[in-house]
Amino acid sequence: MTADAAPRPTLGDRRPRLSGAARRRVALFIRVFALGALAAWSLATPGFLSPLSIISLLNAVSFIGCVAVGMTFITLTGNIMSLCLGVTLSAAALVFLSSLALGIIGALAVALLFGIAVTAAQGALVGYFRANPILVSIAALALITGISELVTGGQRIYPAAAGFELFRGRLGGLPVPALIFFAAVAIGEIVLQGTRFGRAMRMVGSNWRAAELVGIRTERVVAGAYALAGAFAGLSGVLLAARYGSGDMELGAGYDYSAIAAVLVGGTAIQGGQGSVLRTMIGVTVIAAVQVVLLLRGFDEQLQYLVTGLIVLGVIMLHTIGERE
Amino acid sequence: MIAAAIGPRWRPFTILAGAVAVLALMDRGTGYFFSLATLFSVLQLFATLGPVALGLGLSMLVREFDLSVASMMSLAGCIAVLTGVGSPALGLLCGVAAGLGAGAIQGVIMTRLRLNSVGVTLGGLLTLQGITYVLTANQTIAYPNLPVALALNRPILHLLSVRSAAALAVFVLAALVMAWTRIGRDVVATGSDRRASRVAGVKTDRVIIGVFAASGACAALAGVLLSYSLGAASPVALSDVLAPAAAAAIVGGVSVVGGRGHPLGIAAGVLTLCILRSGLSAIGVTPPVHEIVTGAILAAIAVLDGPDLARRLVTWRLDRAERRATAAAARPLSPKAR
Repeated sequence: MTADAAPRPTLGDRRPRLSGAARRRVALFIRVFALGALAAWSLATPGFLSPLSIISLLNAVSFIGCVAVGMTFITLTGNIMSLCLGVTLSAAALVFLSSLALGIIGALAVALLFGIAVTAAQGALVGYFRANPILVSIAALALITGISELVTGGQRIYPAAAGFELFRGRLGGLPVPALIFFAAVAIGEIVLQGTRFGRAMRMVGSNWRAAELVGIRTERVVAGAYALAGAFAGLSGVLLAARYGSGDMELGAGYDYSAIAAVLVGGTAIQGGQGSVLRTMIGVTVIAAVQVVLLLRGFDEQLQYLVTGLIVLGVIMLHTIGERE
Repeated sequence: MIAAAIGPRWRPFTILAGAVAVLALMDRGTGYFFSLATLFSVLQLFATLGPVALGLGLSMLVREFDLSVASMMSLAGCIAVLTGVGSPALGLLCGVAAGLGAGAIQGVIMTRLRLNSVGVTLGGLLTLQGITYVLTANQTIAYPNLPVALALNRPILHLLSVRSAAALAVFVLAALVMAWTRIGRDVVATGSDRRASRVAGVKTDRVIIGVFAASGACAALAGVLLSYSLGAASPVALSDVLAPAAAAAIVGGVSVVGGRGHPLGIAAGVLTLCILRSGLSAIGVTPPVHEIVTGAILAAIAVLDGPDLARRLVTWRLDRAERRATAAAARPLSPKAR
């Protein structure tokens, strides 16, 4: 929201200034070094490569990962973040569980469509009127929470029929959620890099007015980005509902923050325009790996939150080193 | 006079009066709504929500957004409960100082590195949350000093408690600073046009740091007083506070484009929200409906504040007129019409 990012040369400023290329090299070096250190630290941790820890890592990655893939599109189009993907996820999980009577494919479709409808409506407000995205998402957070409490009466929802076990099994030794997450990353990356829509999203994120002037229908692009985010949040809701076999509105609590943390740690720019789904996947993996290593080395579980926060702060600060001209 | 009432300066108070009138009509003279007990509970809600909304509103006034208030509140509550067993004043001091410090640090990071406030305060939100978890070992901590809890909530003149009086005092202080000091004018100038005010000699970086320090301190104060009066502090994020606080600030006339809004307006916005909440419960409406009302108000104002609203309305009208004109022009020429 800071409108004036341009540096001003002042007489008293005697700090040596690096050129843009040198800054970028320094930033890249720090990133590679941090990743290498993390990898070495993980591999040196006894038990990190055990099947149990790998499976738990994959599980942790896939639930947050799907939401983070969705969040990437919102951040990329210059709309910072949505504070309501967590409740969208919970509500989609409840929709999935109560529509299981339609069969597994039907229930999946209904849950995804629900997610799409909820977020595309917000995207339309943001895109068409340029309403403040954070406010719109806070409004949606309150609306979804209120309406679903009204509908469910605050009760837990249990599956209307069986069949969802498909989503918590294993296929070829890998957990199904992880496979679905990898598929989500692949789809997201193809949409982003290989289609006109993906290019339009990046253009809208880097410069809204310019994108509009070259004839991009910005409101449709933003609504589309939000719709994609809703679809991926809904997908995560389905996976979580299948994992726990029941659900309530607490299911997705905190997922918005974990997702945006992953997006930022992956290196997607918070002001939009730059980033990718693959980066987000790296971000999710880094955070999950740090948490698994902390756990395996016997640190308090509480420390994980603190470390995640510090990583996010560090990455955001690091990003400016590479970006400032 | 009507123009003045719906103009930006008085709009929050008009909305407040409207909310009271609507509830009075719904009450139909049964007296549930117009009782001292309802007014007392409105002010108790005000004490929790008000300072947070004030801090968030101040950050929006300088065209930033302080997401970290949500976890600042729970962190300050935990610090106060941990340090203030013997002396509640010491706990209050520690909690508010933590808020002041955390806010100032975030402000320094933002201004030094010229970073987006949402990004920095998001990192701050997660970090503060993490500190809270570490401090409390993820447990609810009881505050054994129960007399303090009772004293804070004891009614004064059937209307106020120490807690709500403190919140009101903070608002009065903020209003005085904003209206009568140079700091206040600098804050508004920074929010309206940062570059111009920098050229005019306003130390905008210091203003930003100060605003975030104040925002942190306000959220911390609300958290400390809430934890004391509940007799417990819990590390669970009070992110439920973010939606009502943002709604209150915006109903109170603060604009996300910066430079518009004042503390008394924010107070009116908070009161509107609290009155709706208590008033609706007094009439027998369930809590989910409060959420829906809050959300609907926020969404409506977000759209009304959207910079492209006027443009979209104009182009809609132009598009319709143009389509009608082309349709009228095409009709006699089309072969079917002949």
